[in-house]
Amino acid sequence: MKYFDPHIHMSSRTTDDYQNMAAAGIRAVIEPAFWMGQPRTNVGSFIDYFASLVGWERFRASQFGIAHYCTIGINSKEANNEGLAREALEILPNFALKEGVVAIGEIGYDEITPAEEYIYQAQLQFAVDHDMVVMVHSPHRDKKNGIIRSIDVAREVGVPMHKLVIDHNNEETVDDVLDSGAWAAFTIYPNTKMGSERMVEVVRRYGPERIIVDSSADWGVSDPLSVPKTANLMRERGIDEKAIELTCWGNALEAYAQSGQIDEEELAREPVIDQRRSYNDNTVLRGQAPRVDDPVPN
Amino acid sequence: MVNDFLNDLLTSRLSDPARAFWEKSRSEIAEGISETRFAALLAMASRHAKRQSLDLSEEELARAEALVPGWSPVAWNRLELLRINLLLARPDLETDAFAEAFEALFRFADEGETCALYRSLPLLPRGERFVWRAAEACRTNMLTVFEAVALDSPYPVNHFDDTAWHQLVIKSLFLDVPLYRISGLDDRLTPELTRMALDWAEERHSAGRTYHLGLWLCLGPHHPERVETLLSGHWPQADALERQAMLLAAGRAGQSDWLARFEPDSLDATLGAAWRQATEGHCGRKTFAPLFAQLETDQ
Repeated sequence: MKYFDPHIHMSSRTTDDYQNMAAAGIRAVIEPAFWMGQPRTNVGSFIDYFASLVGWERFRASQFGIAHYCTIGINSKEANNEGLAREALEILPNFALKEGVVAIGEIGYDEITPAEEYIYQAQLQFAVDHDMVVMVHSPHRDKKNGIIRSIDVAREVGVPMHKLVIDHNNEETVDDVLDSGAWAAFTIYPNTKMGSERMVEVVRRYGPERIIVDSSADWGVSDPLSVPKTANLMRERGIDEKAIELTCWGNALEAYAQSGQIDEEELAREPVIDQRRSYNDNTVLRGQAPRVDDPVPN
Repeated sequence: MVNDFLNDLLTSRLSDPARAFWEKSRSEIAEGISETRFAALLAMASRHAKRQSLDLSEEELARAEALVPGWSPVAWNRLELLRINLLLARPDLETDAFAEAFEALFRFADEGETCALYRSLPLLPRGERFVWRAAEACRTNMLTVFEAVALDSPYPVNHFDDTAWHQLVIKSLFLDVPLYRISGLDDRLTPELTRMALDWAEERHSAGRTYHLGLWLCLGPHHPERVETLLSGHWPQADALERQAMLLAAGRAGQSDWLARFEPDSLDATLGAAWRQATEGHCGRKTFAPLFAQLETDQ
């Protein structure tokens, strides 16, 4: 089956990951704009980063038969550098309306400061003005309170709940999100967020409606195969195939296709991989095992 | 007029809402709009046209060639067509201000916009203003962007100096793009280009790698001994497709002695035909089109 990983930071990943993801059935990804693991020091860094999301990274993904979409936004951490964040806000419209930009995101709160509030609200307003989907990053600390506040503020600004995706949920936050009418995404990320086992139980308990599985794989210890691995575990544990299809493909597609930036017909077709675009003349073969023992090809 | 032609191509291929977007945008642009607004229109074009093939008719292709020799929109998609129409609708194309605005568009362009902007180059007035920008496209790692400037466009051959021209052709060879679509390649096979292609072939040979079909388009009537050595040395292991290309290459490189060694009747029908083409001098870049098509089918 095909999988959609609607939250993964491919710029931080290797070509091995792309090959393994394609082999595992991942057909499409969304790369939300986030921070780099260290703070940016000038607006040019934002410009080049956003440009790479709609340029080089999208092309790189296509070499492996993976459709690459992204979200554009100023993350909550860097919202606290007020001067820089306001400069970044000014250039945001230059990228947010591009082809394949499926949402404003990932935005929201980190420490829940006034500076974060300002940048969050300004970006929500931009999304409302341009009829866009919003992807919200929920904070690591004080998560439940942060999520409730994210939803309330989004509602006040006028974001329709069916265009709001709240990410990094857990068992404690899922009720509030589902009750609000927003989409609830779960990040399967070792140690700090959800594990596959817990995810299976969430789907068993709540069913598949408006629930989305993603990996959020980035430069930290994370797993770009979280979505197919979790799907396999659901299958083993007797979760209905339709529920697996929705949580690992269909729901993400429905939520983000509201942007009008996903060509669903194109996505339904088998990807055409131009051999000349792939590295080392290797074609990316579906279903192949990771080639860990092969010598370097000529 | 190119503008009329592109407008015809566009309007016959758009949905009603997309046509409304185009008509509205066109009048907005004609009245003069801010650069921010223009960039937004260029970006939002993706909401109205998809990356679908234009499926041009023979008549349309012929009309393009007649309007701008060496140019063809054969590889454009609908979204690119819409974006280039938006660009050409600007009333200020001749001005210095446009050159600045054009350069600024690249700074915030995504991959699709970048390709569209590069594809417009052969259609812009005072093309000499954009030589640096065009050479920049040749430094890209994105094949789509490279092809947008390199193929089906007379811009490089008309505006590039020898260094940029050689880089473009040799990079095309490296990337294995269909070299028969490089406009002007027949008339600009310089001694230096021939040498670079021969060196590339030697490198590939040393590494035990095969040649790309494009190699056989890069050899001009220069360095005849080296060309002859390459042709004779490779012939025994060349496959049928390569042999056709090699016979045509020999014609392009003026290797009449090498061609004269063949008994045309001893060759099979396909090779015999290629041999006759080569000896009659009918071996321009477009004669390689069926060979590249065959390559595509075989893969």
